Parts: sequence; C-alpha cells; structure tokens
Amino acid sequence: MQQYQLKSRQICFFLIAFLPINKLFIMPSVIANVANEDMWISALITLLVDFITLLFIIKAARNAKTDFFGLLENSFGKTGAKIILALYFIYFSLKTIIPLNEQKDYVELTLYTLKPSIFYFLPFFLVPLYLCTKKIRILGRAADVLWTITLNGFITLIVLSIGNADFNAILPIGARGASAILKGSYLSVGWFGDAVYIMFLTGEFLCRKKDCVKICLSYALGAVMVIIFMIVFYSVFTSISFRQRFALTEISKYTTVINNLGRFDYIGIIMILFSGLISLSLPMYFGARIINYIFQIKKVWIAPIISVGIQIIIMLTFYQFLSSIESFIMNYMGIFFIVFANILPCFTILLNKKELSYEKG
Amino acid sequence: MRMKLCDSLNENVKKLKQTLCSEDITFLPFNVGQLDAVLIFVNDLIDKDSVGELILRPAKKIDGYPNQDKIFNAFLSPEKKCVYTFDETVAEVLLGNAVIMCDKNAFSLSFGLKFFEKRAITEPPTSTVIKGPREGFVESLPVNISMMRRKLKSPDLIFENVTVGKYSSTPVALCYIKGIADEKLVKKLKKRIKEIEIDAVLDSSYLSKFLGEHRFSIFKQIGNTEKPDILAGKILEGRIAVFVDGSPIALTVPYLLIEDFQSASDYYNSSYSATIARYIRIFSVALALFLPAIFVAAELFHLQLIPLSFLLTIVNSIKGIPLSPSYEMFFTLLIFEILNEASVRMPKYVGMVVSIVGGLVLGETAVNAGIISAPTLMIIALSGICLYTVPELEQTFSILRLFFLIVAGSGGIYSLIISISILFIYLISFENYSTPLCAPFAPLIPSDMKDAVYKGFIDELDMRPSSIKSKNKRRIKIKGNS
Repeated sequence: MQQYQLKSRQICFFLIAFLPINKLFIMPSVIANVANEDMWISALITLLVDFITLLFIIKAARNAKTDFFGLLENSFGKTGAKIILALYFIYFSLKTIIPLNEQKDYVELTLYTLKPSIFYFLPFFLVPLYLCTKKIRILGRAADVLWTITLNGFITLIVLSIGNADFNAILPIGARGASAILKGSYLSVGWFGDAVYIMFLTGEFLCRKKDCVKICLSYALGAVMVIIFMIVFYSVFTSISFRQRFALTEISKYTTVINNLGRFDYIGIIMILFSGLISLSLPMYFGARIINYIFQIKKVWIAPIISVGIQIIIMLTFYQFLSSIESFIMNYMGIFFIVFANILPCFTILLNKKELSYEKG
Repeated sequence: MRMKLCDSLNENVKKLKQTLCSEDITFLPFNVGQLDAVLIFVNDLIDKDSVGELILRPAKKIDGYPNQDKIFNAFLSPEKKCVYTFDETVAEVLLGNAVIMCDKNAFSLSFGLKFFEKRAITEPPTSTVIKGPREGFVESLPVNISMMRRKLKSPDLIFENVTVGKYSSTPVALCYIKGIADEKLVKKLKKRIKEIEIDAVLDSSYLSKFLGEHRFSIFKQIGNTEKPDILAGKILEGRIAVFVDGSPIALTVPYLLIEDFQSASDYYNSSYSATIARYIRIFSVALALFLPAIFVAAELFHLQLIPLSFLLTIVNSIKGIPLSPSYEMFFTLLIFEILNEASVRMPKYVGMVVSIVGGLVLGETAVNAGIISAPTLMIIALSGICLYTVPELEQTFSILRLFFLIVAGSGGIYSLIISISILFIYLISFENYSTPLCAPFAPLIPSDMKDAVYKGFIDELDMRPSSIKSKNKRRIKIKGNS
C-alpha cells in the first residue's frame, strides 16, 4: 500500500499559508503601474489560469500510485524524466529570483532604513538550506502551523488599513481596458504558478473526491486573500498606488502612524514575513529535490547547497543588476513561466500513474 | 562470572569472599539442621530483627540433613528465591538481601529483608499544587512502585525490572499498562536500557541522556515527573515510565513539548481557568524568550516599531548609559543568570540575602549610577519571571533567550525572524521514538487539541491522545452515548 507523507488537509493549509505571501510585497505596485484600478482583475485572471492548472493536477493526483518523479519515469523513462526535471530546475531557479530580490529590497529598505545592507538579508539563505535537508512531510507540518499565522497577519493588516480605503477608487470596473488588464497579468505571471508545487507533491497525499473539493476551496481562499489585498491597497492609495513599492508595509501605515501607536501593524507584517521565509524557500526546496533525483546524491547537504548556492551566487554576482534582471524576467520571460507553470502541468493528467518502485533521491 | 555454585559450602564461601571482600559484608556461620550453613548480608542494608525471626529461628527447628525443597519451605519469608550461580548470589547480597548457603546443596537462598532509612513522602518542590494530591516520589524504588500500584490497581499495570550500572547495579523499572502502551516501544526502550554500559546510574537523568535519540539537542527528549498522579495520567495516555532506584524523578516516553505547558492543577481546576492558565504560560514563555531580543532590535535598528511616547521615555532613560543597548541587555541578562545560579546553589537563608542584594542593591544602584537603564532592568526582570511559568523548560529557554538576544543585537528583527524560522523547522522535524515533538500542532491532530489549545471538559477527553501510539483509544465511556 502506498505510504503518503502528507495529508490532504496539509495541502489545503499549504495553499492558504504560502499562496498569498509573495504576492503581497512588490507585485501590487507592479500591476498598479499598468492596470491601475483594474489591478485586481489582472491578478484574478492569473489566479484563474493557475486554478485551472491546479484542477488538472489534482485530477492527475487522484489516481497517482507513485510520486511525481515516479510518474515522469513511468511515462518518459529515467533519462526523459531527468531532462524534464532539469528544465524544471531552471524554472525554479528563475522563479526564485524575483521574490528573492523583492524580499532583499524589502528587508534593506523597509526594516533597515537606518543602515541598509545586503548583509542583513544574507542569513535568509540558512532557512532554505536547512529546510532543503528535511523530508517532504515537514512542509505539511509547517503548513499546519503557518496557515494560522498567515491568516492572522493578513487579517491584522486588512483590519488596520480598511478604515482608510475608498472603495469607489476601484470603480468603474474594467475602465482601463482589456489590454492593460492582460498586460498586468502577463507582467505578474512570475509571482504566480503555485499549482506547480502541488504538481511536485503529486502522489505524496491521498486525493479523494472530497479532498479535491477542499483543496480547490483552499486555493480559492488564498486567491481571495490576494484579491482583497489588491482591492484594499488600491482603495487606500488610489492613483499613487504604483509608487508604493512595498505594498505590505505601506498598506496599513496611515492608521498606525496617525494614531501614534508606533508601527503596530508590524506585528501583522512580521507574521507574514515569517510565513514568507518558508514560502520563499519552496522553489529552492523543490530544486534540491530535483538535484537529488537527477544525481542520486546520498549526502543530505549536497543538493541543498547546490540549489541555494546558485541563488546566493546570482545575488552576490549580479547585485548591481538585480533590478534589471527582474525587469527582464517580467517583460520577456512571461511565456517561459506560463509554459512551465501552467501549460506543462496540465499534461500531468496524461502521465502513466501505475505504481513504480524506483530509488528515491 | 556465570559460574555455578558447587555443593561444597567451604568452596562456595571461599570464592564468594574473594569477590565480596569488603568489611561491611558479614558471613555468619550457623546450622540448618545438621548441615553447616552461612548467612551472607550487607550490615547496614538488612533488617536484623527479621533475620532473627525469619531465618535463624526457623533454621533451628529443622532436623537432620534437609534437601533443597525442605530448606526452601522451612523459611516463611514472603520474598525468597533460589539462585544457582555466583554472580546472581553476589548481586542478591549487594541488593541488600540476606542469602543463605548450605553445605551439600548447590544453590543459595535469597531473602528480601532490605531495611534502610528512607525519606518521607512529601510534596515535590518542582510541582506544587493548590488543589490535588500532594505526594511525590521518593528515592526508594519499591516505595515508588507501591505508590503507582495504589493509584492503578489493575493487573494490566506492568513493571519490568532491569539492572543498569557496572558498579552501581541500579535497579531500573519500566512501568506501563498492557493493552494501552505500544508494545514495540516497550521492547525498544527495554533494549536501549539494557544496552547502556555505564559505571553507575546515580539518578534518572543519567538514563534520560541515553534514551534520547538526538545527542546534541538542547530540547528535552524524555519527559519527567515527580508526582504519582501525573505519572498515572501519563501512562494512562499510553506512555511508558522508567523508574530508577535512588531517584525521585520518573522518566516518561514518548515526550511531547506541550506536556510541559500542561500543569497538574489543570486537571483539578475548572476547564476555563485551566485554559486561561495555559495561554498565560504560552504567552509568558514567548515574552521571556523574545522580549529582550525584540527590545534590543527595536532600539538598535527599528525605532519605528516603538510608539512615540514610549520612545521618548526610552530615550530619556538611556541618556548617559555608556553601553550600547545590546551589550547593556546582554550583561544585565548575564548578571541575572549569575544571581539565579547563585540563589539555587546557596543555602536558603543566604539565598534570601542574594535576592535582596541582587534585586535591590545591584539593580537599583546600577540604574541610579547610570550603568544600566530602567527599561532594560524591567525587561530582564519580567523575562526572568515569565520563564518560570514553565520551570521544566527553564534551562533550554535560558540558552535560547541568550541566543536570540545575540542574534537580534547583531542583525535586528529580520535575523531574529530567520533564527526563529530555523528553530521552527528544527522543532517540527524533531521526532523521538517516532513521535513528533510538536504534536498535536505539527503535525496537526485536531482530536488532541482539546487538551492542547484548550483544556476540554473531562467528558470531552474520552479518547487517548492520538499523538501517542496506543492500541486502546477510548478512555471514557459515558452510558447512553456510543
């Protein structure tokens, strides 16, 4: 009988805990620059595309008798599986760059306004490095705890900021036209693609019909959180939203600063930041698993060092050009992200789902 | 020495005397009927009245040359057994039993006539309660076992004995309830204890170091308690207890982190007050661990976190302080730890002096002299008190508090969040005897939440915790309910 490392409940919590996090830092201001009051529609479109991908993936997960690596091996043989996974390793490496860079900027420019330095951010890499050495069930356990933290952090921020929101600002809906909305979606595609994580967890959890419904609802809850954040953000800052680069810090600042409470809202921000560390580590985690599978490395620390080391090297080597790289990825690599995050995962449904005993990495 | 006894008394005694050559061991010659015999015992471990009544007097009444059965039946002691090898005979003597050896018989007869001074049963200082039983375990294993038997009068309450220690030969007893405890775990634990090769086991804490599966962990891996009511509750949940002779602290396996946030009084008070008390403990620990670190981080890196009026108060109080906030907090914490250590070690009446000197003289004078600021002192005092709401974890959390303080002083709040994240990953992945340390939170076990996030009513706790492996899950059955 197949041993599942995760429970379907943990997949639900995984989506609630980690799906909204990285979309709350810089992405709102990026979309606001293009789509303005229709920014939430841009996000909604991308979320819907991602949701459709998720539906394909959980359909595939329902009958899977082995994990994702096994499914690939069943269908394409060992070499084929390795090639596909190597491409996904590149995808994960690129997917990490934008959120990593934005979190670095966020930490430097928001938390350390007095003496900004990259060295305050570098210890972050210890988190993915350590997480990558852990088994997949640890992700489930982390989600078991962090979903409440994410939810509480989010509610704190929204409650503190909603008083300053003017919801008329988002009206009329669709005023910016389809091209602006779609451009907003295209630019922000790098921040989405959470269904891919579920694809890599295929076969690790039991997925009955009722579990599928719960997973879909959890995705919907995570998506609703993102949309609410977008709407409140634009309603607070209206036409100057695109100037509020760090949406997470900016959204609730009026309440706390005006009332002389100190930045009380930082409690919520820190909660989200806490979940964010794990969320940001996820692409590196799956990257390390891919390396382990491809090279069948026995030593626990090697794959994490490679996966995380690549990001450290990129960050330190291209420190001066990170914004340009980020801009390049947003403007020119949208298709690449769509292919790997939305199109290819839909084909999971066609993979051979028979049981396979293979040497796990 | 697995050598069998021979039927020559002189030869047996000669060999025994080579091993038991200490002067406190008596070899008393007497007769059993017409047979020569020797009674061997350790002088100060034996009840000499009982020796006279139960061994020497009946021995005089035997006639002729009795065989093994006749000798065995002639003595009426309730605790007697035949042993046939030298090492078993030596062990019996050293355990404090009286041993008879007769000529022409290749066995020795051991009598359990131990007698030594014991401490009275008192309330353990580490877990005092306002309501509820006040008795605590003592250093004597038989007394501790009897206390457990009095609590749980069931044939399913099993004690299994093992001896550990090359020189101490310390009796160790595993205690569990058959049908509730996981048998695989019992076997594993027993095997582990038997494999321990150590000179002496002077306290149960010696064993706990060997029973833990993570050698370098600063977190507790084995639970412990000094109270029979708590232990009875724990083994009824499926845990296994380990008693060590000479220690008033019983060990329990498996251990969950939440155990130390649950107090005995939670189960004797109303569920509401127990739930509130639990939250206070959790909040206090969070305060104790993070308050000094957050304060230093805020002062050094994130002034925007502090409300303006409070910021002005801090600015006024730190004016003229020669040390930077992190050094100031670090040294104050260090002084607190020194005072703490000194007050624990010192005799009680000197301890009072330490409290006065530490609290009033050192603290107040340091603030007045402008060496440390009042908020720093207040934070350390608050943190110190808060930590004692969960005394079992005080040592671990003291180390973590110091670590977090250093991290926050060096890298601010983000470094603090990173270190908490790493600790979080460590804790959720930590397992001992296949039981996750952070259950029922990670992994989430909803059914166990009624004795974790809140303290449910007694009838709600109808099932044993799923965090601990157990065959028999139901513990309360209310008539009329399924």
